[in-house]
Amino acid sequence: MDTLVRATALSRQFGQHSALSDVELCLERGQVLGLLGANGAGKTTCLRLLSGLLAPTAGRIEILGIDLVRQPLAAKRHLGYLPERPPLYPELRVDEYLTYCARLQRLPRRAIAEAVATAKQRCGLDEHGRRLIATLSRGYRQRLGLAQAILHRPAVLILDEPTEGLDPVQMRELRGLIRELAQDAGIILSSHLLPEVQAVCDRVMILHQGRVRLDAAIQTSRPTNRWRVQLGEPLAVEALKLLAPVAEAQALGSNRFQIELCEGTNSADLARALLLAELDLCELAPERSDLERTFFDLIGAEEQHG
Amino acid sequence: MIGTIAAREIRTGLVTPLLWVLLGSGQIVLAWIFLHVIERFSGLEASERLVSLTQELCVNLFGLAAVLTMLAAPLLAMRMLSAELRDGSYERLAGAPVRVGEIVLGKLIGLAVLLTPVCLLPAANLALLTGITPLDLGQIAAATLGLWLAALFFGAIGLQASSLTEQPGAAVLLAFGVLLLFSIIGQAETLTAQDLSLFGWLAWNEHLFRFLLGMVRLSDLGYFLGFIGLFLALTHRHLANRQLD
Repeated sequence: MDTLVRATALSRQFGQHSALSDVELCLERGQVLGLLGANGAGKTTCLRLLSGLLAPTAGRIEILGIDLVRQPLAAKRHLGYLPERPPLYPELRVDEYLTYCARLQRLPRRAIAEAVATAKQRCGLDEHGRRLIATLSRGYRQRLGLAQAILHRPAVLILDEPTEGLDPVQMRELRGLIRELAQDAGIILSSHLLPEVQAVCDRVMILHQGRVRLDAAIQTSRPTNRWRVQLGEPLAVEALKLLAPVAEAQALGSNRFQIELCEGTNSADLARALLLAELDLCELAPERSDLERTFFDLIGAEEQHG
Repeated sequence: MIGTIAAREIRTGLVTPLLWVLLGSGQIVLAWIFLHVIERFSGLEASERLVSLTQELCVNLFGLAAVLTMLAAPLLAMRMLSAELRDGSYERLAGAPVRVGEIVLGKLIGLAVLLTPVCLLPAANLALLTGITPLDLGQIAAATLGLWLAALFFGAIGLQASSLTEQPGAAVLLAFGVLLLFSIIGQAETLTAQDLSLFGWLAWNEHLFRFLLGMVRLSDLGYFLGFIGLFLALTHRHLANRQLD
């Protein structure tokens, strides 16, 4: 596969504080990598390092084999970056701003009009070319921020919290756009939203206190049929396993269980079986996704109740 | 690339009110001084006129315009870096395949173009006397050049202050402080031995004054260009070091 980004032993310190330590990162063409982590985990620092806005204290970053520190101009030509706050000029119109960004990216003069039109069309800004940026809503500003990042069709797209400020419809559109862009580019995005990362990313990297705690592929399209059950009184887990819809059961406490249902059955079947067995059903809830569980396990914030 | 950055700065300067307010208020003050000088000069007998009308107007109008540009340059410069650092739009520049030197020169050229109309205001006022009285065009040209160089000098200090902080207000105050120091440092000469002229040389007003008298000297050109280069180099250094902060 075509390696677009390779970060080796990447570290960054702010004074005595170590924001990022020994991060190894590799991004292939066609891949969407999600950076997950709590506030202060080092996500934004990592993205700022990869976009060339910060210099690493130690380590090396290569963009398409070009050293980002030694040859920043050549490497930055292949990068598109959407920071947490879109870098906009409120006094400019949308078209003026995108044209300016295209020139900054050193696009050939002849290609600028077409690049601006394509970026606007992809981000749903067709009708807003003449509008002043100051008058755009937060969602449209975010779209414009994305438009400036994809304007020059970069090989590597770095998006810091791209769905911030978007409504649910826009978020769904953005997911589609990210998948579309990933066909001929590599994308790194950070987010607090686990379902979003699960929906759009091929790989996830979980950062905690500046260190990579997990770097793994996301197993997609595996329907979860796992439920969490709380009964009115304590029960042996073996008794639950005897119920027809239950494929596997695991005790989480004396009256709390995690149950994997047989194929073709659903929560209604489980509830019916529990009531027929004359058990008091206090709670029946879908188990959290694998990613969510992994995330909380890794950052050590697993809730002790519920 | 320098042109692209400068053009964006000029566009922003033209669509925001700051420049127009500076031009409008500056012209009102200059017009008042202009009329005052003309009235005073025309009231004098020929024997009482020690200097020409051109010189009288140049010293008064261009001197006042220099003070105006000293106020205007940091105000225009604060938006170019400090406000961009605060609003996050500087990240667009820093993330683009652009050298820091190109950013600094683009900003300076943008600032120079925006300050040029302020520098041309005294000459525009003097143009009203064309055909009415003989004017020394060479002296007016030298004074305009001197004022423009002084404006660039103020602008370079403004940019350097603007690169130091994400608070535009603090950047303006910092620039005013440095400019005030460069304005009054010549006064320190009176506190020391009369033959020590270093402090006098450091003050910008001494160098501008010779331009206003119609003298274009290499030493004065060197003073302005040297300090513009110094403050641009400091701006460059600070912006380049932001990657390490």
